[in-house]
Amino acid sequence: MARYLANRVFTLFLTVFIAATLIWIIPRLSPVNPVDAMLGRMASGGGTIENSGALLDQLTERFGFNDPLIVQYWLYIKNTLTFDFGLSTASFPTPVAQMIATALPWTLGLMLLALILTFIIGNLLGALMVWEHTPRPWKVVIPAAMVFTSMPPILSGLLLMYVFSSTLGWFPLTGAYGIRVEPGWSLDFIGSVAHHGILPAMSIVLVTFGFWALGMRGLMITVQGEDYTVLAKAKGLRKRYILYKYMIRNAILPQITAFALKIGMLVAGQVLVERIFAYPGMGKLLYDAILTQDYPVIQGVSFVIILMTALAVFFVDLLYPLIDPRIRLGA
Amino acid sequence: MSVLDIKNIHIDFPTSKGVVHAVTDVTLSVEKGRRIGFIGESGSGKTTTALAAMRMLANPGFVASGEVHLNSLEGDTNVLHLDEEGMRRVRLRKISYIPQGAMNSLNPVMRIESQIWDAVVAHEGAMEQSALLERSNTALDGVGLDPKVVGRLYPHELSGGMKQRVCIAIGTCLTPDLIIADEPTSALDVITQRHVMQTLREMQEKIGAGLILIGHDMGLMAQSVDDIAVLKKGVLVEFGPVRRIIEGAEHPYTRELISSVPLVGGESFLHAQAAPPKGEKLDVPLLELDGVGKQYGAVTALHPMSFALDGEEPKIISIVGQSGSGKSTMGSLMLGFNDPTTGSVNFKGDDINKMNAAERLEFRKQVQAVFQDPYACFNPFYRVNHALKFPFENFGMQGDVDAAMHEACEAVGLDPSLVLGRYPHQLSGGQRQRLIVARALMLSPKLLIADEPVSMVDASLRATILANIHDLKDKHGISIIYITHDLATAYHVSDYVMVLYHGHVVEAGPPKDVIGDPQHAYTRLLIDSIPWPDLDRDWGDAGDARAALDALAQIGGTPETVYRGDIPGFTLRQG
Repeated sequence: MARYLANRVFTLFLTVFIAATLIWIIPRLSPVNPVDAMLGRMASGGGTIENSGALLDQLTERFGFNDPLIVQYWLYIKNTLTFDFGLSTASFPTPVAQMIATALPWTLGLMLLALILTFIIGNLLGALMVWEHTPRPWKVVIPAAMVFTSMPPILSGLLLMYVFSSTLGWFPLTGAYGIRVEPGWSLDFIGSVAHHGILPAMSIVLVTFGFWALGMRGLMITVQGEDYTVLAKAKGLRKRYILYKYMIRNAILPQITAFALKIGMLVAGQVLVERIFAYPGMGKLLYDAILTQDYPVIQGVSFVIILMTALAVFFVDLLYPLIDPRIRLGA
Repeated sequence: MSVLDIKNIHIDFPTSKGVVHAVTDVTLSVEKGRRIGFIGESGSGKTTTALAAMRMLANPGFVASGEVHLNSLEGDTNVLHLDEEGMRRVRLRKISYIPQGAMNSLNPVMRIESQIWDAVVAHEGAMEQSALLERSNTALDGVGLDPKVVGRLYPHELSGGMKQRVCIAIGTCLTPDLIIADEPTSALDVITQRHVMQTLREMQEKIGAGLILIGHDMGLMAQSVDDIAVLKKGVLVEFGPVRRIIEGAEHPYTRELISSVPLVGGESFLHAQAAPPKGEKLDVPLLELDGVGKQYGAVTALHPMSFALDGEEPKIISIVGQSGSGKSTMGSLMLGFNDPTTGSVNFKGDDINKMNAAERLEFRKQVQAVFQDPYACFNPFYRVNHALKFPFENFGMQGDVDAAMHEACEAVGLDPSLVLGRYPHQLSGGQRQRLIVARALMLSPKLLIADEPVSMVDASLRATILANIHDLKDKHGISIIYITHDLATAYHVSDYVMVLYHGHVVEAGPPKDVIGDPQHAYTRLLIDSIPWPDLDRDWGDAGDARAALDALAQIGGTPETVYRGDIPGFTLRQG
């Protein structure tokens, strides 16, 4: 047990460390010098800049580009591990960490909700596509609903906005909470957040449940043919009990690994969904950062994505022996 | 009094190519406390007929006409008239099922005891935890498993034999009227097979249920059942008491089934041959194991042993033993799939684990393998001709590949025009296994390593495929290492036999001595455990099987090899 845990923790740190290094190396391969880019932005705003040569040198010195690479790297690693991602170049001088800290809860809340919903709905529908006792109409409707999978989330978002917001007026068009509500731990605020979150979440669920459903369908077909499912039926067990305890219980195992990988990715947000719903999350942050070549923000967001993925995989690794007795700790 | 009456049953499978009549007009009864064997080849409808009684036919099969009466039902006894809930209540409580795949028939994520409890609860309703525990303890105790230990385990922590005994415990825990056992021992070695079969018989006698035993092994039937029903292509061709069938079968198909069982000391099923062609003469042995041993962590799979096989005179060397004896480890060491922990494996004098890429390619070409599972040996995306052609071209063989393919197919008794254009899934297991042999033959190897090549094909086909393999030696001068748990076939095909137990060679020599007149206790046990299609030969009861297993556990330490004679061109020693 202790060895298994040590092994996992070591893997976790190694993954994060390698990923952090790659994030540091890759932008340095780009021909664009961030100092030039910064000056360029200033120039486009205010015409000519006096003493631009001196300013360039000053900025280069200030950014530490004159230090040897190894010093720059060491500084970077030290800062990254303390979640100090530096200052945004686009919204200078806001600390990147602060920007992420503001955006992350929104995305985590929205995306986690959407992911959990789509995981449950997708897997259940996938299982029902295979189960022999599924009512016939369902077996027609579920595959037909897969059409939504081929739709980009921006379209599903627009569709939902049109139906539930513009036409029916049930949900607000954009934003994360109402303008008249004071952010805080009040019922009003939480209610408003939930109310604003439903449409973006549903637009993601609509386009992603098919991924889970199709994966689950394949796994269920395998499980359905397994001898233990046949024996379960021969034992005269009730059909729903067989569905949950014998079929889904076994088929879901690989899906849980996929779920962990998705948790990491969801931090990046559904960029366009957040964009059209004007949702102040990580997706919007990343989108704006890419538009403005805001490298510190891109780096910071990338690091958070990797950290979340590694953590999610780490926790699933710890969880797995509990849900699958064949995986024994240390084995 | 009969428990189950099947009357004029017809079972159809609608397919895209028309309706397949899987079972046609079968009528038979199962008496209380009596054992009926359903025997036939795959596709004969034996499982389908039995499963119809549980209404568990595989999709899209259905009962087209006929009646199935379960006489303990009240009112209308025809199970085909029951509603879904009524049928569910019949399963296990009245008719229980013991499945074929011992390896996979238990839910891998549930403890053994829970899998007994859920069955009890499904039929008798929720009950106290202590009452459930009592039920699972009784059930496991009945099949000779320690409830305190086994109940808490998960399926993967049990051996194949133990899993199958758990299935018997489940199948008998509600004292059903009828037990349907679908080849319950087909995946087990002979010693475990005898133990499981005896346990099943003991439990069936104790609860007085009828038993339908589905199988294709006439020997197992002879030792286990009272009556035999022979099915061929969905038709019941013969039915009667076991002694009448074994000793005086009327239908030619039945006689064929009986005669296809290879017997120790019985008639040979091999093709008679003139003197086999000589292999090339070498100064060094063709294959040499020099002090080869293998350890997996703390477990010793194979204790150091040495042998030298000279290739001039082609020979078949059999390695026999039950699962876990180390025989497959030996095979993978010889193929270079595994590095030995000690010693070296030499092919024509070169250590196969120190070869460079070119030497290794040549080694791979000259040493071919046939494995157990013919279903997993072909890439399902390619037609058969591609699968045969690819190694031929990859190894840079000269000559006309099409002619070679045709020749190889004919050599294993397949019609090339029939099989070459097909996909693997369109062929039967027996055909596929013969194609594996053909593929190996096309490369003109010097050595063939065959690991359980016939254990997954029908009993009636085993002899033919082994005859094909034997021809490789006689007609093509290929030496063969035959790894098996089936002593009867080893007796016929081999020139020399090694009996492996816990990684030790316990007895070795020519088959007529080793298998015909075994000296070591383990070899004797292996031979006693073979179910013979001979009613006067005693297979023992469950007590005997258990006593034998206990005796087996006593064999420890480093048993000395009992050498039973030598053959020219082969030497064997320990260490």
